[in-house]
Amino acid sequence: MKEEYICRCEEITREEIEKAIADGATTLSGIKKRTRAGMGLCQGRTCRRLITQMLSKVKDPAEITPPTSRPPVRAIKIGEIVEGEDD
Amino acid sequence: MKKTAEIVVIGGGVIGTSIAYFLSKRGKKVVLVEREDLASGSSGACDIDIILQSKNPGIHLKLAMASAELYKSLSQELDFDIEYENTGGMILIEDEEQLKVMKEFVKKQKAIGLQVDLLDFKEASKLQKGLAPHLVGATYSPQDAHVNPMSLCIGFAQAAAKLGAEISLDTAIVDIKTAKGRVKSVVTNRGEIETETVVNAAGVFAPEICAMVGMSVPIKPRRGQIIVTEPVPKLVMGDVLCAKYIVAKYNPKLLEGSDDPETRLGVGLSLSQTRNGNILIGGCREFVGYNWSTTYEALTTILKHATRLVPALKEIHAIRSFAGLRPYTPDGLPLLGPVEGIEGFIMAAGHEGDGIALSPITGKIISDIILEGKTFIDIAPLSPGRFGNTEKIKAVS
Repeated sequence: MKEEYICRCEEITREEIEKAIADGATTLSGIKKRTRAGMGLCQGRTCRRLITQMLSKVKDPAEITPPTSRPPVRAIKIGEIVEGEDD
Repeated sequence: MKKTAEIVVIGGGVIGTSIAYFLSKRGKKVVLVEREDLASGSSGACDIDIILQSKNPGIHLKLAMASAELYKSLSQELDFDIEYENTGGMILIEDEEQLKVMKEFVKKQKAIGLQVDLLDFKEASKLQKGLAPHLVGATYSPQDAHVNPMSLCIGFAQAAAKLGAEISLDTAIVDIKTAKGRVKSVVTNRGEIETETVVNAAGVFAPEICAMVGMSVPIKPRRGQIIVTEPVPKLVMGDVLCAKYIVAKYNPKLLEGSDDPETRLGVGLSLSQTRNGNILIGGCREFVGYNWSTTYEALTTILKHATRLVPALKEIHAIRSFAGLRPYTPDGLPLLGPVEGIEGFIMAAGHEGDGIALSPITGKIISDIILEGKTFIDIAPLSPGRFGNTEKIKAVS
């Protein structure tokens, strides 16, 4: 059985996410806290929909809350944030 | 169909799960009730520090030191990798005035038995690379440590479940029923649980639970904000704070009405690096109610402050930010122990920013109190009624 990576940034497999769901995770945030899926450089852009599909087997898709979006929109050098302030 | 439990613990953060574990370990039948999910509140929106140096010299530091001892064997005990690491930590000092404050702080901490020393700039630079040349020095303690707070919650909860605890997620407390001054049951959105003992470990939401038994508590949410970086090779030595962090923590009055955003937002450096290599850059302390938003002003102010002290951070990418609420109390100490006037109602909340550091010892103390009626330390200064806030209880029960 080949391992199927759902979250590529953090290298989290389908099996690990299934285990998190079995542990009681019913939200994307719950999956994230148990596995790190969605914590990587792309912040869940790739895996979010795949994980939502997996969650929808145990929870009504209408009830699956989207994850909190937080700044920055994409990875940005800290120096640029700080220097941008001084312009 | 009514359920029964020896003890109901309210809250699935590091405090509630720790209490559930310690009670289960000692043979008690526990039901842990959590409104959302494990680590869904403050315990999932914080950094990874177990800092002893940031604790007020007194019972606060004594509790943290006892907790630090318990941490050493916790991964093995829980049979769960909580990413604990005894890294050591330092508090950066920017000027002579801060040096004076820190000298006094260190002297008091040493008297209590903490291993802590003052370092000059050269010695500090050996421990932490990339420091700004204007720093005058730092304090250093080898006893500071790291843990992954989310893994800690899950580790405690799974270990408690293995020992027979029931972990009831997605379950909200609707009411607490009392009769003749005693706890009788808790009512949840999934049914009623008959019990004689309830532990309120609801963190920033503890006041909501207290209101159900006619008790008011002066726990207020105090927001912190943190920036997360991309994973990078080891750069941060352990827990790195700055002296301003200590001032902001213990002197909220000094922050009010300042023109300087850094002071007004209660900004103080808190740097740590997770096992995966992400650096967490904090933080601030704001009274803005139950508001979990991050703000542009705070994030930029925190980063300016951090890069002023550790310029090396400028080259690293930020990938996320988040905010969390600390359960603040007016004297900086948690509310721990039984509530007078209502038999079976026990408080374990109000740890402000020290919940992670104090979670193991809180679990031990509450289990001691429930099983033996006493613990290893006099917890009178932590009494839940110390703010004269239990007056109305008798009228309700």
